[in-house]
Amino acid sequence: MTLSKEELEKRVSVLERKALREKKARQLAENQLEKYSLDIYEANQSLKAALAGSEQKQLELEYLAQTSNNVASEIPLKDMVSNIVELTAEFCSANYGLFIISEEGQWLTEKSPKVWSSQQGWQENNELKESIVGLLPVSDTNLAESWRSAQIDTPPLDENTPVNSIFYTSFEWSGNKIGWLAFLRPDTELQQELEVILNTAKEHLVSGIRRRLTDIRILQRNVQLQDSLSSLEKARRQLIQSEKMASLGQLAAGVAHEINNPIAFIRSNLEVLQDYLNDYKLLTSQMQASFKKDNTLEVSQFTEICKKVDLEYIEEDSEDLLQSNIEGLDRVKEIVDNLKGFSHSSDETLVETSLTKCIQAALKIAGNMFKYEHKVVNNVTTECPPILGNFGQLQQVFVNLFVNAAHAMEKGGLLTIDFTKIKEGVVVHVKDSGSGMDEETVSQLFTPFFTTKPVGIGTGLGLSVSYAILEAHGAQVTVDSKLNVGTTFNIKFPQID
Amino acid sequence: MKGIVFVKFNEFVEELWGEEFWDSLLDEAQLPSEGIFTTVGTYDDEELFTLIGLVVEKQNISSKDAQFAFGKWVFKELFNAAPAGAHDFKDVFEFLHAVQDFIHVEVKKLNPDALLPEFEFLAETTNSLSFHYQSPRKLCYFCEGIVHGLADHTGQTVEVSQTECEHEGDSRCVLEVVKV
Repeated sequence: MTLSKEELEKRVSVLERKALREKKARQLAENQLEKYSLDIYEANQSLKAALAGSEQKQLELEYLAQTSNNVASEIPLKDMVSNIVELTAEFCSANYGLFIISEEGQWLTEKSPKVWSSQQGWQENNELKESIVGLLPVSDTNLAESWRSAQIDTPPLDENTPVNSIFYTSFEWSGNKIGWLAFLRPDTELQQELEVILNTAKEHLVSGIRRRLTDIRILQRNVQLQDSLSSLEKARRQLIQSEKMASLGQLAAGVAHEINNPIAFIRSNLEVLQDYLNDYKLLTSQMQASFKKDNTLEVSQFTEICKKVDLEYIEEDSEDLLQSNIEGLDRVKEIVDNLKGFSHSSDETLVETSLTKCIQAALKIAGNMFKYEHKVVNNVTTECPPILGNFGQLQQVFVNLFVNAAHAMEKGGLLTIDFTKIKEGVVVHVKDSGSGMDEETVSQLFTPFFTTKPVGIGTGLGLSVSYAILEAHGAQVTVDSKLNVGTTFNIKFPQID
Repeated sequence: MKGIVFVKFNEFVEELWGEEFWDSLLDEAQLPSEGIFTTVGTYDDEELFTLIGLVVEKQNISSKDAQFAFGKWVFKELFNAAPAGAHDFKDVFEFLHAVQDFIHVEVKKLNPDALLPEFEFLAETTNSLSFHYQSPRKLCYFCEGIVHGLADHTGQTVEVSQTECEHEGDSRCVLEVVKV
């Protein structure tokens, strides 16, 4: 196909325009490509920055988490601080790290001065530690609020390790002491972002130290309290024993009398028995004389001799006297046994105890306080239920009450001991018809060293000790008293569970 | 609209009616881009509509036919340009389902600002599939053409009709594809 010149020219111009469009399009596409490349590059850069940022954030979080773990853990305080020195040094890429304590502006040197280094970990190095501490304003007794940093002109010791700056902080330690953390780094300054993280870590550390120091103080206080408690307990036991001995002193005269009586009649009985023995000697000598003379003994003669010494009566009376002596000695033995049991300092365990027997035993000791003009009525029979108690201590309480009652009834009267069974346990009533007490006296009855008795009689501790004993038994005491009418002590013992 | 559509439209027109005709279209259209299209660029939708309008006028065909023909023709072009994974489909319905979940995802990777139509599938049997075509460009006829192009590619025969069409006064466009 042939084209005319005109057609050819038209065709050429169409193709020229097309070629021009294609060229421009290519340029546009190339520009676009360049733009894409740039966009990709920038996106890459910002991704890299974001990645680095997130890696740094992750490191920061790890550092803070590990710091918190250490603070929250139960490891000893010094170990915790050491761990935090290590973590912080690693986190800040420090070459050296250390921890010291100062008091009144003076560094408290340790037995084994340790420094952490990135190459060797914790190592003992006094010289290095001294030179690092020399870089710290230890004499400054004001606490640093955050971290401080300073450039170092003359690096300490090891010239192979590049060190250009120190950063440090101080915080409250126990007492008036100040704790210091210090780190040496190759970088010349501490970046602000790093400082923010370090401040957070420091806050954790300070709160951890505070908690641990408080724990230690509480522990020490506990030990002290336990010591006080055990010495108080010891003093209480001694007091009970002393009071018992004191009341024994008051009872001594009566007890002596009680022992003297049987001894006196035993002695008199023995004197009579001595006479009877002489009569027997006479009888046998007369019988022997009769034998020698006649080689025999007439019945009538024997009867006469027997009558002469009144043998029948002697035999009869001797039996009575011996029996009386045995009884007398039994009485003495009983009194001595009771005294022994009473004065003995027993342990304080509570076991099933019979109030009936306890009251009887107390009466045996205190009974002689009551004279002929007194009457004692003990209605505590074996029907009184047992309680959980300590026999010796309860005996002491009852002796004390009986002695007080005797003192209150100097001119005679009636002591009645009764019991009432109630739902929660049993109440023992010790009632006297003595002088009674006014309200003020009743209100002070159980106060230590309070006494209405004249000097030399009573310690003023009897009832307060009794009260303490009863309290330990879970017993409650109430007192009804009326002047010139009498006093009743009501002791409520809890039931055995 | 993405430049690839303009570049392909240029090739389509030149293939059918020659370079001179395309040159005359540009001369008359006076487009802001001056007809300098690249596949990596983005151009105003109006430029395409202007060009289609001129083709319709000069060749005396309907806009519907123009869109349909271009759609049918452009499928294989777009298909060749699509990422390798898009070539594994053997069935028209399978491909239509995958358009949104796969093809459009790939397109978005390269052209995050591309505005793509959405298909809402309404009913499907073994040989019929109807879906709601949603696009502010309202190129439903173009879409019909593309489905035909797709069927040519898979070797299937389909009939595509619109049970509802915005150009016919309906509120939406619903395309029904039936395998025959």
